[in-house]
Amino acid sequence: MMTLKYLAQVLCLLFIIPLLSACWDQTSIDQRAYVVALGIGKSENENQIQVTFLITNPELSKKEATTNEPSQEIISFAANDVIVARNIANSVIAKEISYNLLSAIVVSEEFAKEDRFLRYMYDLAKEPQIKRNIPIIVTKEKARGFLENNRPLLESRIHKYFDLILNSANEAGLIPKSDLNSYFRITEADADLFLATYGTSEISQDGKDSVEDNFIAGKMDIQGETNQVQLMGSAVFKEGIMIGTLTGEETRIAILLNDILNNMGPIYTTYQDPFNEKYKVTARIQTEKKIDVKMDLKSDQPSINVSIPIYMDIMTQHSMVDYANDSQKRETLQRSIEEEITNKINNLIKKTQEEYKGEPFGWSVLARKQFTTITEYENFDWMKSYPDIKINISVNVSFGNFGEQSILPDFEEVRD
Amino acid sequence: MKSMEKTQGKIGIKEFVAIILLTVGTKLSDNTPNILYEDIANAAWLSIFLICLIWLIPLVLLIKLNTLYKDKNLIEIIQHLFGKYLGFAILFICWFMQTYVMFYNSVIYPDIIKTMYFNNTPLLVIALVLMAVTSFGAMKGLESIGSTAWITLIVIKISLIMVLVITFLQGEMDFIYPLLGEGGWKLIKESYNNSSIFTEFLYIFFIASSIKNTKVFTKGLWIGYIFVSIEFILALVGYVMIFDYYGIRLLDYPYHETIRYIQLGFLTNVELFFFPFWIVASFIRLSFYLYLSALLFGALFKIKQFQYIVPTLATISVFLGLIPQSITFSIDYLREIFLQIITPFVLSLPLILWITAKLKGELKK
Repeated sequence: MMTLKYLAQVLCLLFIIPLLSACWDQTSIDQRAYVVALGIGKSENENQIQVTFLITNPELSKKEATTNEPSQEIISFAANDVIVARNIANSVIAKEISYNLLSAIVVSEEFAKEDRFLRYMYDLAKEPQIKRNIPIIVTKEKARGFLENNRPLLESRIHKYFDLILNSANEAGLIPKSDLNSYFRITEADADLFLATYGTSEISQDGKDSVEDNFIAGKMDIQGETNQVQLMGSAVFKEGIMIGTLTGEETRIAILLNDILNNMGPIYTTYQDPFNEKYKVTARIQTEKKIDVKMDLKSDQPSINVSIPIYMDIMTQHSMVDYANDSQKRETLQRSIEEEITNKINNLIKKTQEEYKGEPFGWSVLARKQFTTITEYENFDWMKSYPDIKINISVNVSFGNFGEQSILPDFEEVRD
Repeated sequence: MKSMEKTQGKIGIKEFVAIILLTVGTKLSDNTPNILYEDIANAAWLSIFLICLIWLIPLVLLIKLNTLYKDKNLIEIIQHLFGKYLGFAILFICWFMQTYVMFYNSVIYPDIIKTMYFNNTPLLVIALVLMAVTSFGAMKGLESIGSTAWITLIVIKISLIMVLVITFLQGEMDFIYPLLGEGGWKLIKESYNNSSIFTEFLYIFFIASSIKNTKVFTKGLWIGYIFVSIEFILALVGYVMIFDYYGIRLLDYPYHETIRYIQLGFLTNVELFFFPFWIVASFIRLSFYLYLSALLFGALFKIKQFQYIVPTLATISVFLGLIPQSITFSIDYLREIFLQIITPFVLSLPLILWITAKLKGELKK
């Protein structure tokens, strides 16, 4: 019986002790100001950065009586780094600043393109309250402007907004999944390009491209009363510094080719109808199988053969060609789509090889399988070798359904 | 009641296995993986596999000795085989090593707690609380440590398995390539150098006579050995799957970075689900270390009631722990050197014991 008593004592102690030791770090919820988004931008002083905090108001619970306090607050100031910024902000904000609910890091494009950018990103790894799974958003304008213009109408609780929009846009394949951890990982491995979500609140009309998703944030002409912020496309980082952008469509292709990034849901997109130039067919793509990448890196002319299986449902086609019942027409359509996709992929690969001199497809990870030791792999120097590698793409489209109502009336007959 | 009296002061297989799993198993969640990653990068998991193989020979020899001297534990075996003076010297080295290990653990664990979770709390306070609890546990003796370990084992291991499952789902298997990491020869060399991270398997022979019987001891040892090895390998693969071969070398405490990174659906701050279990496991682990240290000290200086040394040892280790500056680095460095120095001793001791027994002709009996 004595053992049992001792046991009970030990257990009680064990559970009480962790609580006691937390006294120094204890702050109640109403004494904290939760930063939901952290903006980092260029400051006038060379050794400082412009830090912007989007602070949420935790009082905004539906059950409690609503107060007149606004749901959020934005402050912006120059600071040496994000760690010291938490303290500086307290000259304005009464409560203790906390990064515990941080759900997005917003970086201005201007700052991301500077050499010193990487230094400031590693500050984020050092701050214990910032976790490595926080997504990065690169904005065309200043981070402050982006956060100020970001007024989602349906999510007054701003801390949910970023999670939600990033998730759904990510599933649609329009933006890459980009968190701090993968930024560090890719920068450290020094072989691939890192893709970050690209967004803006500035709508620009110049060179508007009306083709589906082939544009980047800010070019989509959305009417009506809604949030001005658009997330679309991606910012390309090489060795930790931004070097360019990819459009929504290019981002989709990059995600399609990248097994690590790929968590796209079904995507809706359109292709040229081979039987009528005027019309397009709308397809739903599902990427279920992994793409097959075969590498031959040891020969004089290294090459990569990529075969991409695509499973596709045709949702609708305005040309009203009867694909469902005509196998020959289906084959023509299949070849035409395969060609179109292959062309798009080849264009992107050409861009990465010639312009960016690196790839965002995560292929360096697959290339590692060809080597037994890290030294061998690092001697091959993937980033240097990539532009000269010959890449062959083959796309295999297989059709599933042809829309819910697969048989259509003959268009001419109906008109008659 | 009769059976209880019989087992008084002895622990059964459940408690024994639980002690092994919590003392050796908890190592995968402190800075031990870091030492392996630093030298052999992503091949650290292979190195654990090699270490397991290296340990097979000493373990088999020790088990042989243990079955031969049924009523003796390793302390008495050493004294019996080596005589008064040499036996004392060897036991003293063992005690010193154990105390040193306990000392740096009593520094590194508060450091983990402070840097990862409670930034504002003074290190001394965390260390004092930690050592107070662990010395309480250690003073209660092996039985209490064993039963606490057994009771908490299941929840602790469930939380670990959860972490591993999520890690494997959210990580990228391809990151473990290139398979051999820094190369085959370096892998073998560093595996040997670091093989003393399994020294606990030698030390549990010191409590062999507190286990119900030799059969139970041998069985428990193998179960624990296999379980810990698998667990270690999976964890080391898991961390690489999240942080990649380069990034993993930059982290001080991979387990804690992992539980802060992984996501459980809509839940944020998932680490709070895992941290309490980890801290309980750490308490038990340190308690056992303190107990071992006191036990060896008692054997050396013929102190029967060795439990009363525990508070003294604990206090000393807390204050010694305050000496090094910037703990994360200095202790890491000290530990690496320490592991390399003790490896030949730890691995050869069983062999020497066995040879001595053979020369004395006691193996034939």
